[in-house]
Amino acid sequence: MAEYECLNLRAEVGSRRGAKRLVLDGVSFEVGAGEFVSIMGRSGVGKTTLLRVLAGLHEPSADSPTSDCMVRFSDEAVAGPPEGVSLVFQDYTSSLLPWRSVARNVELPLEGRLSKADRQVRVTEALEMVGLADRHDAQPFELSGGMQQRVQLARALASRPAALLMDEPFGALDALTKADLEDQLLEIFTATGTTVVFVTHDIEEAVYLSDRVLVLDGSPAKIVAEIPVESPRPRTQMHTRESPEFLRARHRVHEVIFGTE
Amino acid sequence: MTQDRASDIAPSTRLYERIRLDSLTGLLPLVLLLSVWQLIGDPESPFFPAPSSWWPALFTLGQGDKIIPAILDTVRTFGLGLLGATILGVALGLSIGVSRTFGRAVGPTFEFARALPPAAIVPVATLLLGFDETMKIVVVVLAALWPILLNTSSGVQELNPVLLDTARSLRLSTTRTLFGVLLPSVMPAIVLGVRVATPIALVITLLVEYLTAVNGVGALVGEAQRTFQPARVYALIAIAGLLSLVVNSGVRFVENAVQRRRVGDQ
Amino acid sequence: MLVLVAIAGIWEVLVRFSIADVQFLPAPSEIAAAAQGEIFGGELVGRLIHTVGVTALGWGIASVIGVGLGLLLGLSPTAYRYSMTSFEVTRAIPPITFVPAALLIFGFSLKMELVLVIYGGIWPVLINTIGGVRSIAPELRDVGTMLRLSTPETIRKIVLPAAMPSVVVGLRLGLSLCLVLAVVAEMVGNPEGLGNGLIRARQALQPALMFVYVIAAGLLGVALNAGLRATARAFLPGNALKDVFAS
Ligand SMILES: Nc1ncnc2c1ncn2[C@@H]1O[C@H](COP(=O)(O)OP(=O)(O)OP(=O)(O)O)[C@@H](O)[C@H]1O
Ligand SMILES: [Mg+2]
Repeated sequence: MAEYECLNLRAEVGSRRGAKRLVLDGVSFEVGAGEFVSIMGRSGVGKTTLLRVLAGLHEPSADSPTSDCMVRFSDEAVAGPPEGVSLVFQDYTSSLLPWRSVARNVELPLEGRLSKADRQVRVTEALEMVGLADRHDAQPFELSGGMQQRVQLARALASRPAALLMDEPFGALDALTKADLEDQLLEIFTATGTTVVFVTHDIEEAVYLSDRVLVLDGSPAKIVAEIPVESPRPRTQMHTRESPEFLRARHRVHEVIFGTE
Repeated sequence: MTQDRASDIAPSTRLYERIRLDSLTGLLPLVLLLSVWQLIGDPESPFFPAPSSWWPALFTLGQGDKIIPAILDTVRTFGLGLLGATILGVALGLSIGVSRTFGRAVGPTFEFARALPPAAIVPVATLLLGFDETMKIVVVVLAALWPILLNTSSGVQELNPVLLDTARSLRLSTTRTLFGVLLPSVMPAIVLGVRVATPIALVITLLVEYLTAVNGVGALVGEAQRTFQPARVYALIAIAGLLSLVVNSGVRFVENAVQRRRVGDQ
Repeated sequence: MLVLVAIAGIWEVLVRFSIADVQFLPAPSEIAAAAQGEIFGGELVGRLIHTVGVTALGWGIASVIGVGLGLLLGLSPTAYRYSMTSFEVTRAIPPITFVPAALLIFGFSLKMELVLVIYGGIWPVLINTIGGVRSIAPELRDVGTMLRLSTPETIRKIVLPAAMPSVVVGLRLGLSLCLVLAVVAEMVGNPEGLGNGLIRARQALQPALMFVYVIAAGLLGVALNAGLRATARAFLPGNALKDVFAS
């Protein structure tokens, strides 16, 4: 059962009336329900653009009326952000509302949808999942980068999404914090059964987290490789990273991205 | 990757052209307003004479030769006032920035002086200094001083302390530190302050001229109003607007030049 | 504070002993006496109330218009493209030059004063609201889109709070400008308020009384600014305040 279906996706960037640049052309893939898929590629290849298309923030562009370009989420064409999809932005400093406390930031997606009491329950639940239950009333600027990113994750989880899209969420964090958050994400992934599409620069991270790694390349970019990762779950930093399945998948991704030497 | 760069440059130049074009489309409402005004406006209206009657109104009754001298007068008062405000503002701003004691001592006085509506100074200035050029310049300086002073002092306070320590460890003399280190590093802050002060200086120049009827465009507007020549009032308003556009873009040009030079430095 | 007292002291001595013999310069003690008379037996309080009232009312109306129009121009690229230059050009015209035009149109009236105050007060609010809205991080806008907020919800929960520091700067500049324009209008047009008191004292050659009105106008400026600062403090997070009142 496919949650996301993407067929011959074309996407251009640039302002509405200015010069446009074809970034993605002929991107096709599927993401199954409950699957963890990573998208990799060099900087500027179009990963963010692809994720924004999946999130309904960027409209794909058909080159002709008969084009078969299509993006679907749970069997419905994506037009605007679909119900049940949350996005975690790369830049946590500008995607949290600095004038709201941690709890009120997490509460934002629930406002107008749930009663006050239900919202409290959800907020507490989400903050517990990311291990920030005790920083309920803090202001975002009082938190470290890793904590702020966890607040963003909690906000994304609060609406109990069917799919979670993440754009290099741990890219700006130090190695220890990053490992910590990766494990937390895996725990949440296992506990909630959420589908995850995860963009990253980091080969190790992609392989460690995912069921499958997709590699984008070219200009315009398309998916040039798809590498399954067969390491069993639950995964742990020490054991998984030394397992033969992990090493084999990492080798394949390296090969695809840097070529064989 | 290099190919990427090349293709990135082309759109940005085109972006520039588009901005110019956008600026023209943005004039639409103003043009529309003036056209409608022209169509339904009566040239003899005591309130809204049609725009076409403005220009001729400048020259009726042999008043034509007053315009250029008035503009020159206004520009001179404005220029000298802004210059005075800059010198005084930078001097006071540097002192406040360098010495906390001085800053605390004059703080409340300045807070009060800054909040004083400049119009209120005018009667006092005319009483004490009389109706002349000096009085006008004093009022302009007192009103335009503040943004320069504040930007300079906060520029000094935000300066990296390492810079002053460096100067001290190099045993630079006070004058060298002031003109070689301090002033150049707060230059952008000063220029920003001057840019903010520019429209203020021009407005206050026109205000003093209008209130005291001592020369300049402001005095002419007042005269036209008192003699009930609405078309002439609007024409002079348009001239004041043009003057302000020219002066402000001039200052912005200087600011950009200063900033470019700093980027070049690094 | 001490410095103020010291200045007043030196000033008093200079004038009293005619060391600095500037014609018409009253000694602080004379000013104080005049102030006492004007507060308890004169017109100062009534005039003060008039000026405060017009400034506050005009500023309030100007702020509503400025923020509303600013939101429209900040949020809609079409509106921006088809009107911004007009606003830039109109804004360049010094508001002072509209005083004679307003006098011709509205005569010596309260209406004339109010129109001027509103007109002048709109600009800083408008320009700063547009700037604040347009400089909101695109990510923040995306957050709103992702959560499928409606337009009013986006404005209320994201756009306005994010633009608030910049809007408050505009409100503060607008308030000072409104006071200036009210005083100017009272000096030349509407024969009421502090501005008129100032002119009357000037014409009656009562320098001490004139200084009373100048000081009253200055203190009013300080008070209005302080009031706005206190209000802003209640609504803005602490770290945003610094920028707002820096300049
Ligand atoms: N607003 C924009 N205007 C013009 N070009 C853009 C815009 N946004 C992105 N691009 C271009 O589109 C291409 C793809 O950008 P995208 O952000 O998707 O890359 P990315 O793979 O996410 O890069 P990174 O790993 O650095 O985040 C880049 O070459 C970029 O230059
Ligand atoms: Mg990216």
